[in-house]
Amino acid sequence: MSSAAKPAAAPAHPAPAPAVDRILVATGVRKVYRTGAVEVEALRGLDLTVRRGEFVAVMGASGSGKTTLLNCLSGLDDIDAGTVLVEDDDLHAMSDAKRTAHRARRMGFIFQAFNLIPVLSAAENVELPLLLNGIGAKESRRRAEAVLDRVGLGHRIDHRPNELSGGEQQRVTVARAIAIEPALIWADEPTGNLDTTTAERVLDLLRELHADGLTLVLVTHDPAIGGSAERLIVMQDGAIVDDAPNRA
Amino acid sequence: MAVLIAVAAALLAAIAFAALRRPVLARLALRGATRRRGETTLVILGSLLGTAIITGSLLVGDTLDASVRASAPNQLGPTDLVVRSATPQAGEAAAAALDGLSDPSIDGVLALRTLQAAVATTDEGDRRAQPAAQLLEVDFAAAAAFGGDPAATGISGATPKAGETAVGADLAAELGVEVGDAVEAFAYGTSEELTVTAILPRTGVAGYWTGFEATSMNAFVAPGTIQSLRESAGPGAETAQPPQDLVLVSAAGDVFTGADATAPATAAVEAALAGVEGVQVSPVKSDVLAAADAAGASFSELFLSIGSFAVLAGILLLVNIFVMLAEERKSELGMLRAVGLKRRDLVRMFAIEGAAYAVVSALLGALLGILVGRVIVLVATGIFASFGDLTLTFTVPVESIATGFLVGLIISLLTILVTSLRISRINIIRAIRDLPEPAARAQRRLVPVLQAVGAVAFGAASVASIAGDDPYGGLAFPALTALCLAGVLGRVLPRRPVLSLLAGLTLAYAVFADQIVGFEGGDIQVFVVQGVVLTASAVALVGQNQEAVGRLLRLLGGGRSLVVRLGVAYPLARRFRTSMTLAMYSLVVFTLVFISVLSQVFASLTDEVTADEGGGYDVLANAAPANPVDPDDLAGVGGVAEVAVLDVGQAEFRPPSREEFASWGIAGVDADFVGRGAPGLQKWDTDAYPTEADVWAAVAADPGLAVVDSFFLQDGGGPPEQIVAPGDVLEVRDPASGAVTERTVAAVSDAGLTFSIWMSKDSVADAVALTVPARYYIDVADGADAEAVAARIQGGFVANGVQADTFRSLVEENSQANTQFFRLMQGYLALGLVVGIAGLGVIMVRAVRERRREVGMLRSLGVQAGKVRSAFLLESGFVALEGIVIGTALALVTSYQIITQSDALGDISAPFTVPWGQLALLLGIAIVASLAATAAPAQQASRIKPAVALRIAD
Repeated sequence: MSSAAKPAAAPAHPAPAPAVDRILVATGVRKVYRTGAVEVEALRGLDLTVRRGEFVAVMGASGSGKTTLLNCLSGLDDIDAGTVLVEDDDLHAMSDAKRTAHRARRMGFIFQAFNLIPVLSAAENVELPLLLNGIGAKESRRRAEAVLDRVGLGHRIDHRPNELSGGEQQRVTVARAIAIEPALIWADEPTGNLDTTTAERVLDLLRELHADGLTLVLVTHDPAIGGSAERLIVMQDGAIVDDAPNRA
Repeated sequence: MAVLIAVAAALLAAIAFAALRRPVLARLALRGATRRRGETTLVILGSLLGTAIITGSLLVGDTLDASVRASAPNQLGPTDLVVRSATPQAGEAAAAALDGLSDPSIDGVLALRTLQAAVATTDEGDRRAQPAAQLLEVDFAAAAAFGGDPAATGISGATPKAGETAVGADLAAELGVEVGDAVEAFAYGTSEELTVTAILPRTGVAGYWTGFEATSMNAFVAPGTIQSLRESAGPGAETAQPPQDLVLVSAAGDVFTGADATAPATAAVEAALAGVEGVQVSPVKSDVLAAADAAGASFSELFLSIGSFAVLAGILLLVNIFVMLAEERKSELGMLRAVGLKRRDLVRMFAIEGAAYAVVSALLGALLGILVGRVIVLVATGIFASFGDLTLTFTVPVESIATGFLVGLIISLLTILVTSLRISRINIIRAIRDLPEPAARAQRRLVPVLQAVGAVAFGAASVASIAGDDPYGGLAFPALTALCLAGVLGRVLPRRPVLSLLAGLTLAYAVFADQIVGFEGGDIQVFVVQGVVLTASAVALVGQNQEAVGRLLRLLGGGRSLVVRLGVAYPLARRFRTSMTLAMYSLVVFTLVFISVLSQVFASLTDEVTADEGGGYDVLANAAPANPVDPDDLAGVGGVAEVAVLDVGQAEFRPPSREEFASWGIAGVDADFVGRGAPGLQKWDTDAYPTEADVWAAVAADPGLAVVDSFFLQDGGGPPEQIVAPGDVLEVRDPASGAVTERTVAAVSDAGLTFSIWMSKDSVADAVALTVPARYYIDVADGADAEAVAARIQGGFVANGVQADTFRSLVEENSQANTQFFRLMQGYLALGLVVGIAGLGVIMVRAVRERRREVGMLRSLGVQAGKVRSAFLLESGFVALEGIVIGTALALVTSYQIITQSDALGDISAPFTVPWGQLALLLGIAIVASLAATAAPAQQASRIKPAVALRIAD
């Protein structure tokens, strides 16, 4: 093939991961939103594979489907077609109860709006996923304190969310997400409500955790944040238009 | 009524003006109401209960008023005044003086002779008797023309001839007789057989009756019949009461309006009777109407007081609903403010919407109030039937419905207005972004100043109230002082310990208040105030120490369970909202449990009350005054050990606290009677008389002393009111002669069955000319069956019109009626609990909406849907249980203290017992109903989809 005549640009996919390295495999995922007679195809038969230990950023304009992608791949929302395998478990073949239990064991979530329980202290918020997984109260408290210390909030364990700054609240959210040592962390605009300095600190924390082996899928509209991931997926109109290692 | 109309009109006019001035506000407001039908229904349902309770209470009072008033046309008709004479000669003179009396205020005068006598059927095989019937002699033509309205007199046909009788419908029904049947009238130790020639309705003169009963056991006989009976008198006739010669006077006007002319008619009659000795003019019609009004007002007051708990709960519910609606629409409201709507426009908009709800709910509530009133009257009918055969006829006056509507409307409007002022204070950006409001707001500087001034002012008022034995001020002012102090001290000292200490002190004070202030003579409203103070201080104390409750739960193993953690986290953290719900529940439960305990204690007092009523005697018998029984004949009845005879009659009394004389029974006792054991005493001067026996001995010996019964001179029902105290001097007037003497109250008795004041026989003879030895206290022989003895006495002395009952059966009958009444009040209170439960349901609906994101987050973390549902159910169950425990604990402590330590309920020595079974049932139903009310929102919470709830947008 002459190098002067290049074919039309197609999404450049990373090399397929070996099966043992694949933590998430999504195939032909389709999601349609129906409001009355109006149908919107939010995801158009999408394929995606994430390797264990990978830091993936998903970017795109508003309405591109990036958050829908996060919802569907994590099992927070149903899909209309396709499969999603997380550690070889078909998420959408499970009942709601089983999928919920799977989330409790294997996934962590970091949201833009923090979504902490306002009437529980930092430690109590972090204990929630531990207690959900059947860990005893004392052990849950011990682990919660340890992980809060890990994120730099060892001195704020008994403070309620309204007594913490935005950055501190987000760090509590991170601590809650990693407390159970999940297979996969989903983060949706984790720095969206933070100022630049604080956002950078939270990102540093996430990078540290990734460096320790955490698999992280992060949705963002901020190119600076997207640029810090090792793999960048770009979405447009419900489809992946670019998927490449981050060259930044 | 005029004030209510003015207030309601002013409020509605202001709101209507706002709507007309800014039509866009009205459009926004009413669009909200019409498009959110579920919420509209919820608001209307929540606010109509208060109106229903108010209207129902008013209608109950109206029904009792009308039912008692019905005795006016039924038993008096055109009769407005009754002239009573001490002797037959005085009667003749009075009749002569009043015959042909012409005065514009009088439209009729009628001479009548009456005698209480026994009347029985003549069939020996199936004899039926009425021991307390009334024989009447009157000219039927004159009677029919009396007052100018024959229909109002009930008299028709010819005057009965010798040997004939026209029987009243009540007596005919009692005896089972018809026209043509024979009856026998007994008086003065003899009898006469009469043939029934007519049956007359219970109306006007035909129904003439001035006794306690609502039925008239009348038999009209030929003039001269009574005198004939007297002349052929048998044994005992010399002590029997002579017939009563009366002159009935009809004031100008109809049955009811005639009472308005009572004063000029009385003046005219008294002027005509000048110079006639031994006569007394009684305004019987106006007395009956006044008694009806008093009875009706007393009942309305009772039910309104009991219902006030439910109305308070209804107000709290309405506040919660409105705040919920505002939070639901927060972003919409924020947007309206952003595009230019002022804060006061928001208030106006809410007010317009609220006014629409208020009008509809007040209207529906007033209509539902008719049903509430009807149900209460249905239940109360059985209770009143046992008290003097009073038949309740449900009455629905438009004025009461209008009053209920207006009061409910005003309460709703004011609640909505105040709530609107609060919820209009939104930050635009936080509202648009649906972010929570900050927890604390800076207070204005004026508030601490007001709190300090309030603390001083209420403190001074507290001291004055306690010193003056004012129960209302003595309860309310110390609580208000503590509230103001809490605000002042909470700024400079650690808040939780200060508030806890003040709340605890207020609570302790309220429990023992009646011993500090003294509730003697206090009525139901005092109890309402006490209940509010108790529950408010208990809720404040618990609210400040919810963390301790949380720690306790964790210690009990709740720390392990995620559902328990989530379920109790919000109630423990959201103190104000939780406290409001606790207050609703605990207030109603406090009253329910208190009434249950009281009911149980009173029911267990049968032995003690029987001993108080009967003293050393077992059976009470009363004979017809015209035909008293020889006590030796009574003593000869099998099973009778001893018979004590009391001379009985009627007198009029005026205590120091009253301006008018009022009629009451009078009973003469002697040393023999008191020697065997007289009725129990409640209060007396223990310095002057160390024991009860000393009191009775003094009364039997000293004609200047008297013992009053527990209901002495009391109008209407309810607990004893203590109108006089030991040491008070009473004026005693002979109703026949008008002669006035004085007696000193030596003691107040616990007994109340005979509605009599006790004096020595000499004292009674001195006070009142007309008494008869017609009451018998009978001691039954050891081993004899008192009930059987009473039955033998009643059956053996029919001719003497004897009614005999054991004291125990009389007390038990009363007790049963009391128990039924307590049940009625409990049922009424249960309405308040329904409101409280509805309030909890609304709060949970709010909670689910407020916490959608958090629920979404929990589901995303892996909390199962079922656990979310369980957490919400546990939350509502925890709050309900906490409120129930607070209310129950307060009620048990307070009732224990009142029953065992205080004399607020009189001198009772029954042990404190708790109806655990009944309470478990009541409170169990409350818990289950609370959970049921929150089942729907809890299920809704469990169905929240994480992605939707988190509102994650691309």
